[in-house]
Amino acid sequence: MTTLTKTEDAAAPTGADPFLSVRDLYVRFSTEDGIVKAVDGLSFDLERGKTLGIVGESGSGKSVTNLAVLGLHNPRATEIKGEILLEGQELTGAREKTLEKLRGNKMAMIFQDALTALSPYYTVGRQIAEPFMKHTGASKREGRQRAIEMLAKVGIPQPNLRVDDYPHQFSGGMRQRAMIAMALVCNPALLIADEPTTALDVTVQAQILDLLKDLQQEFGSAIILITHDLGVVANTADDLLVMYAGRAVERGTVKEILTEPRHPYTWGLLSSMPRLTSDVTELLHPIPGTPPSLLSPPTGCPFHPRCTFKAEVGGTRCADERPPLAPGRASACHLTAEQKQTFFIEQIKPRLG
Amino acid sequence: MNAFSTRRARAVVVALAAGSLALTGCTSGSSTNNDKAQTDKDAAAQAKAVPLGTAKDSTGPAPEVKGARKGGTIRVYQRDSYNHLDPAQMYVSDQRDLAKLIFRGLTTYKQDDDGKTTLVGDLATDSGTTTDKGKTWKYTLKDNIKFADGKPITSADMRHSIERMYAKFITDGPMYVQQWLSGEGTTYRKALPDGPYKGKHLPDSVLETPNDKTIIFHFKQPQPQLPYALAMAGHSVVPDSKKDTKDKYDVDPVCSGPYMIADFKSGKSMKLKRNPYWDPKTDSARHQYVDGFNITFNHQASDSTKRLISDQGEAKNAVSFTNSVEPTLTRQALDDKSASKRLVQGYQPYVWQMNMNMDRIKDKKIRDAITYALPNGQIVRINGGSYGGEIAGGLLAPTVAGYKKGYDPYGKLKHPNGEPEKAKKLLKEAGKVGMKLVYAYSNTEIRQKEAVAIETALNEAGFDVQKKEVDAASWYQQMGKVDNGFDIYMTGWGQDWADASTVIPPSYDGSTIQDGSSNYSHIRDQHVTDEVKRISQITDPAKAADEWQKLHFYIVEKVNPAAPVFYTKMLQLYGSNIGGARYNTDINYLDPTTLYLKK
Amino acid sequence: MLPFLFRRTLGALVILFLLTTFTFFVFFAAGDPAQMSCGKNCTADNIALIHQNLGLDKPITTQYWDFLVGIFTGRNFSVGHCPAPCFGYSFATKQQVWATLLDRLPTTASLAIGGAVVFLTVGLATGLLAAWKRGTFVDKTFTSVSMVLSSAQIYILGPIVMGIFVYSGLLESPRYVDFTSGPAAWGAGLLIPWLVMATIFTAQYTRMSRSTMVEQLQEEHVRTAKAKGMSGRYVFLRYAWRGSLIPIVTILGMDLGSLFGGAMITEYTFQLAGLGRLAITSVTTLDLPMILGVLIFSSALILLFNIIVDATYAFIDPRVRLS
Repeated sequence: MTTLTKTEDAAAPTGADPFLSVRDLYVRFSTEDGIVKAVDGLSFDLERGKTLGIVGESGSGKSVTNLAVLGLHNPRATEIKGEILLEGQELTGAREKTLEKLRGNKMAMIFQDALTALSPYYTVGRQIAEPFMKHTGASKREGRQRAIEMLAKVGIPQPNLRVDDYPHQFSGGMRQRAMIAMALVCNPALLIADEPTTALDVTVQAQILDLLKDLQQEFGSAIILITHDLGVVANTADDLLVMYAGRAVERGTVKEILTEPRHPYTWGLLSSMPRLTSDVTELLHPIPGTPPSLLSPPTGCPFHPRCTFKAEVGGTRCADERPPLAPGRASACHLTAEQKQTFFIEQIKPRLG
Repeated sequence: MNAFSTRRARAVVVALAAGSLALTGCTSGSSTNNDKAQTDKDAAAQAKAVPLGTAKDSTGPAPEVKGARKGGTIRVYQRDSYNHLDPAQMYVSDQRDLAKLIFRGLTTYKQDDDGKTTLVGDLATDSGTTTDKGKTWKYTLKDNIKFADGKPITSADMRHSIERMYAKFITDGPMYVQQWLSGEGTTYRKALPDGPYKGKHLPDSVLETPNDKTIIFHFKQPQPQLPYALAMAGHSVVPDSKKDTKDKYDVDPVCSGPYMIADFKSGKSMKLKRNPYWDPKTDSARHQYVDGFNITFNHQASDSTKRLISDQGEAKNAVSFTNSVEPTLTRQALDDKSASKRLVQGYQPYVWQMNMNMDRIKDKKIRDAITYALPNGQIVRINGGSYGGEIAGGLLAPTVAGYKKGYDPYGKLKHPNGEPEKAKKLLKEAGKVGMKLVYAYSNTEIRQKEAVAIETALNEAGFDVQKKEVDAASWYQQMGKVDNGFDIYMTGWGQDWADASTVIPPSYDGSTIQDGSSNYSHIRDQHVTDEVKRISQITDPAKAADEWQKLHFYIVEKVNPAAPVFYTKMLQLYGSNIGGARYNTDINYLDPTTLYLKK
Repeated sequence: MLPFLFRRTLGALVILFLLTTFTFFVFFAAGDPAQMSCGKNCTADNIALIHQNLGLDKPITTQYWDFLVGIFTGRNFSVGHCPAPCFGYSFATKQQVWATLLDRLPTTASLAIGGAVVFLTVGLATGLLAAWKRGTFVDKTFTSVSMVLSSAQIYILGPIVMGIFVYSGLLESPRYVDFTSGPAAWGAGLLIPWLVMATIFTAQYTRMSRSTMVEQLQEEHVRTAKAKGMSGRYVFLRYAWRGSLIPIVTILGMDLGSLFGGAMITEYTFQLAGLGRLAITSVTTLDLPMILGVLIFSSALILLFNIIVDATYAFIDPRVRLS
């Protein structure tokens, strides 16, 4: 067991009353093999109209966190602790009925793979109209009208015809657009996009991200953009949260993190990302090792088994002591601020080209 | 009786019922106070030659059954549907049972209250008269005998019934009369290739009908057994009219007995109703107490037995013509206070024997060794214990005239589990210790169980048994091949009537050997062949029975072609409202003709 | 969709043809039906005569050709004309094979349909309930009860039920009464077989509908529906259940196909004369025309149900329908 004495302190000093505030969130699944600590004391805030990017490898707890926000975990197998406040309303432990009223209405989610995330058995139009009818009490006809309207808004040609199509009749990009239409049909104040472009090819990816941005401007939604791709957040997000093993390891604005990352894990992420500008002969630098098992996460800093800088900290501190994440622009690492700066400038930056 | 049922009993029927039969060995094998299983003492009545009755014996009506009343319908649970309704195709036991109720022939059996059986005239005024020791037989028809359509039965109908058996579509029924009249094997067919259907008839020198009432059989050789042969269901009367539809008659016959078919759904049910044209005054052997019979098929023995033991609702008025008490339920039936009073039992006419292929096992010492070694007692237990069978000492069933009670030259009764030491000694004398013995048995559960016991016993006696399992459906076909490639195999044979002439010639006369013949052990003994020829000519049934008995002793003791294994027995249940139930020694089942409903 | 069904039908006909051919030659080579009727007269002459009467003396290819042609044109037999579709006359009963099949079908179909209604209703209901309440006492009870029942067998359960209800005189014997002569009598006569048969099948459907539902509930599109704010029940019944129908329909199609082909053990246990019983009887009596008839008929029914299942897929899943 790690010494879980101190958790991350409250973050985001930017506003007194943030739109979404996650405090000290723990999500644990009981499985046959034991308890999976999927989210291990996570806190973050999100302002209305802003986009928060969450990056990390798969299994780092990005999606689990956001499913917890929507309350989509199976309550029988999941233990959720901490606070999730949406405009001051407590969501952890809220009644299912309450959550139902919020889901698809005030908060909505776009899933990664629209092919599996949309039901193959119902028309796109029906699936878009369903939450609208449910939350606004609209009739079937109104629902269908709204679905056409939304399809048009997300750029589907001939929406009044395509509304009766089934998901499998759409191309990948169109399906993702339909999914976005479905998420936005009730003008949600919070939109969680879980890897919305991962399954798409690059040109479509850009279109979809543009679309999200446009829609955000129109509706003023707050967006959480979950991705493992720093390139995606670079142009889209305002703030960035880097997650590792169920915890936030670095927080800051997109610009801060991309230009001046302070955590060895973030460095690793950046180094392992191919760049258009870089020389083709130049090697990528993947992070050594594999993500830790969340059944028995490493003690101390969860990243230490893979960290190439732990010797710089000295002793066994990295293995023994969990580094805290200070509020605001911060990183959870035992290296000193100077060390972080030096190592970044001297060793990492050259690699990034 | 008939091989068909034996064949089927082996091949089909037992195959389905075998599962439960096998379990009985331990339950009903041991005897307790309740065991009243019929022993051969009771069989004595059946073992005498059936006497030929007089005109008086043949005159109806039949003596009333004590306490009988008219009315009501009897429920009948049967396993198999009737596959033949044309009497000339009938040979199987369940068909003979039905035939008793719906058909009549020239002769039939009449059984008195003591179980004494007489052969009497049925449609004929007597059991037949002969003035030349059986070369010529004359039958005169009774008055007022009619078919179920009201048409009188005449000698032309009788002649027609015989002649149509020459036609090619009749293949399944008995052939005795045709063969006696017109030639051995199937050569008789040449005498009338199309039967009577193209206007041709047998010449008067063979079959003569001088008037409407008289029919005369002319044989080249004396045929003293004719009255018995004519009592077979296969020789029942068929009208000489358009109603004889040849092949199609098999599904739509004209009845002549006390009952007629009201409705038949093949594979499902049959309803019998009173035949209004049957006159009890013309019938000395049958009654017409109940209004009808409501028969349903597909009842396994376990089902019919459970229904009859429980005796609830319609089962009170029910019987099964041919289902026996399911062997696993025998104990329950005997212990049940009510059911134990509702049982009839008797011998079946079958003898199971272990054939020893004499083409392959030429040394009698070896055959004797096998005979001594066989565990007859264990085999009987496997077959349902004392209610299902009885250890056989000879090859004639207790139901055949000439059967001798206690005849046991190989000591099978004294040593029910065999005498391995004696067998071993004989084998040593023959210089064949460790001899390979190819033993065939059919792949039904009961035969498989037997095979284990038999293999163990024979190996203990010094043989090296090679078991060969054979498909039950083609069992008799394979065993019937002259060159079958097996050393030993069990078969069952039953008489056609209570005379050894229907057992010894077909099974032990070497002149009959060919593919498909029933001389399964391939005994070729000139003495036997000669004796068969001689005894067949003896006109006095009692004297013939004595001679058959002597020949039987010779076969068993001097030749020993087949080891006797067991005689089969029958135990049947009936509902509590059934009256007049008794064992019929002709059909060897519950007698369907005397049944009535008590209320 | 229509071309698809057309292709499937064509395929089924080809399978039927191959099956017919195969069975014809295998069974005609396997045993000699003359042996079943020759009794004590099994001499070569008489066997030859029986062969001639049954038409077995002709070359087997000729017999096969006559058989095939007869199916479409009808044939003349000495016993009478056999109109198309003619599968000949039974060797054993002299009844027309086709007429016998049609006669037995209602019993079998009634058994199958009645049984299916019971086991589907009860099986799906309990399965859905167990899935809805998964992990709870209800779920565990249903699951363990169905485990026990699914290992029960008709030939064990049947006689027990017969003993309790029929032999004791509490209820009447199972029997088939034509539906047209009174639905009440029809239902009463088959109630016991339905319930016994359903008991065993129900367990299977309980387990299957539970497990496919649990599986479906893990599907992403089901999660999406929940994320849209659709109520738990709506998601369960509209989204998850729709997806669980495919495996259920597949198994149901197979079960119905084989039940329609003759529920041998059920019919045997309850003394019902349906196609299953007919199959047993005809095999044990080497009644070749009947064996062929039952086999082709049952296979055709199984194939028909396969096609119905395929058509149902299209109804359930637009991906099938629109591709």
